[in-house]
Amino acid sequence: MYPPPRAASTRPVPVATKLAAAPVSSPDQAVTALAAVDMVHDGAKITLRLLDATGATVARQGSVTVTGVPGDAHVLVTPVFAPGSAIVSLVLAITVPVGKHVVRKGHPHTGHPVPRVATAWRSHHALAYFDQRSGAMTGPFHLSDEPSLALSTAAANGSDLLLWTTREPQPDDPAAIRAQASLSRLSVFPLGSGKARLSTSAPAPWPGGEPVVTLPTGDVARLVRGRHVQVCSARTGEVTELEIPALRQGRAKPSAVTMQARPDGTVFMTKPGAGVAVLADAADSFRTKTHIQFPVPASPLGAPWSKAVLSPAGETMYVLGPAATGGLCAYHMGSGKLAASYSEGRQYHGLYQLPSGALLAVRPENPRLAFFSADLSPLGTADTNLHVSAIY
Amino acid sequence: MTGYDTAGRIQNTYVSAHREFGANPSFWIRYFTPSPAADLFHEAAVAESRGAWDSGGPYVGCISAPRQSRLSGSAAEGHADAQAFAAALLTAYHAVRPLLLPANGQLYCWLDQEYSTSLSSSYWNAWASYLADYNFAGLGTYPLYPCLYCAPYSPYPNCSTIAKSPGVNKPVAVWSSTPEPCGSLTRPPRWNAAHCAVIPTRLWQFGEQGVCNLSANVDLDVGAPGFAMASYCFRLKYRP
Repeated sequence: MYPPPRAASTRPVPVATKLAAAPVSSPDQAVTALAAVDMVHDGAKITLRLLDATGATVARQGSVTVTGVPGDAHVLVTPVFAPGSAIVSLVLAITVPVGKHVVRKGHPHTGHPVPRVATAWRSHHALAYFDQRSGAMTGPFHLSDEPSLALSTAAANGSDLLLWTTREPQPDDPAAIRAQASLSRLSVFPLGSGKARLSTSAPAPWPGGEPVVTLPTGDVARLVRGRHVQVCSARTGEVTELEIPALRQGRAKPSAVTMQARPDGTVFMTKPGAGVAVLADAADSFRTKTHIQFPVPASPLGAPWSKAVLSPAGETMYVLGPAATGGLCAYHMGSGKLAASYSEGRQYHGLYQLPSGALLAVRPENPRLAFFSADLSPLGTADTNLHVSAIY
Repeated sequence: MTGYDTAGRIQNTYVSAHREFGANPSFWIRYFTPSPAADLFHEAAVAESRGAWDSGGPYVGCISAPRQSRLSGSAAEGHADAQAFAAALLTAYHAVRPLLLPANGQLYCWLDQEYSTSLSSSYWNAWASYLADYNFAGLGTYPLYPCLYCAPYSPYPNCSTIAKSPGVNKPVAVWSSTPEPCGSLTRPPRWNAAHCAVIPTRLWQFGEQGVCNLSANVDLDVGAPGFAMASYCFRLKYRP
């Protein structure tokens, strides 16, 4: 049984509550960042906790208060690790009510107008920085990007934070502005600064949820449209778009897409809804080195989003089994061929490889957690009343 | 009334779908930001609308499929996702001149909750209230109505979350992804959609491409008896 039977009955120990957003792992997976927001008398207090991933203990923490934020505001916090730097950036999307009005909205069944109070909102962004060495938090630095969509995309290298934002379209925008509405903005901030050293239009699509990684060169790649990689020069902001041919295939059902930078400079991308995974060479225009095709699993879109993982040595890819049979499959990266499979009829919805090398498969029904060895031998299962959205 | 949902391009899909089913769909449901495949309509709204018109189903419904782990998250996440969804709808509305709001003033806006995804009250209430309060295009008619696509019998909260939601946050309709008996556009199964206790199921995805081995890049949907899904979609007045 893995973990030991005693672990299955151990009660979970909360390490943070009121999370403002999903946790974020450092590029080396050694640290997990948790950001929480508490509304206090003079604004919104944002607390960043950095967990040691192996012990799940709080290694560092710091906080910053955004003053003047009303109690009914929404503050979205995105922690951003910077490879090669001790600075963790916090991108804050601050959305505040700007007006409450009595409006008349049609009743959904009768269509008759019914008076109700509607709230209008405006968003802008701010930055803060946490130094893991000193424990000091600097900021917040408010950006003059209102009205903006709260959703953004951010990545950092050893010297800069790259931030994609989108202006919120307004009903009364003139035609010339409407024509620009699909354009986003890329701004580059020196780590620790609230002033962009570079700000330029960014090509579509809008930021928000797409995978993004920092490359060894310091440039940043984001995987967009489920099939294109946009490589952004951190120095100039110039964007080069490349298509990954193997990811071109689409299906009726949309798919989760993932992208992971590996220590050897390759990038591992998955599109389970199309039954495709790709290992690409980032230093060679994202040339496909290995392309694996596998049967589409039953849940290519639902949580957790991790449906396929690459072993640390890069020799084996593990993926959820086909929709028809469930279970797990392993593919040899060198040949692209199926190396092993296991199914006891259960459909799993997420798959992770733990630091020990064991595989953890997740499903909504109990037992929600199933552990396997690297050769897909079942090690044991565990029930939990937790709703598993992701594993860190 | 039957129609399609798809993450493929309408203009590249409707011919093969017509070849497979021999009939025109009544509507298309499309993915809008934040979603995988949202770029298809967002970056090519006119071409997509021409595809819908040419398919004989000039009605475009709207769904958003944010990264699914967010749905169990905070109000700030729900609010941000709804804000982007509404902005994407407005951008499409402005980009396609003959794209009109439904004549009844009710544009159903679906949140995609997959079977293995948990939906928190914080996320749902913020998502739903933002859309319900959105002064679309400054018209003053507040035509966005939050709705939920889900598998009602999933072990994770979906129906229980929306049942607790207050006022306009309560969805107008559920679109059920289960069961999946398959069928065709012209011969859908007898109405047997899974349902929640409080909110009516008005749309049923009875056949997914992968499950039903459909060759066209479409999933099949049918409205509840007496419910016309097309009446709650964007409608094209003429070919753009």
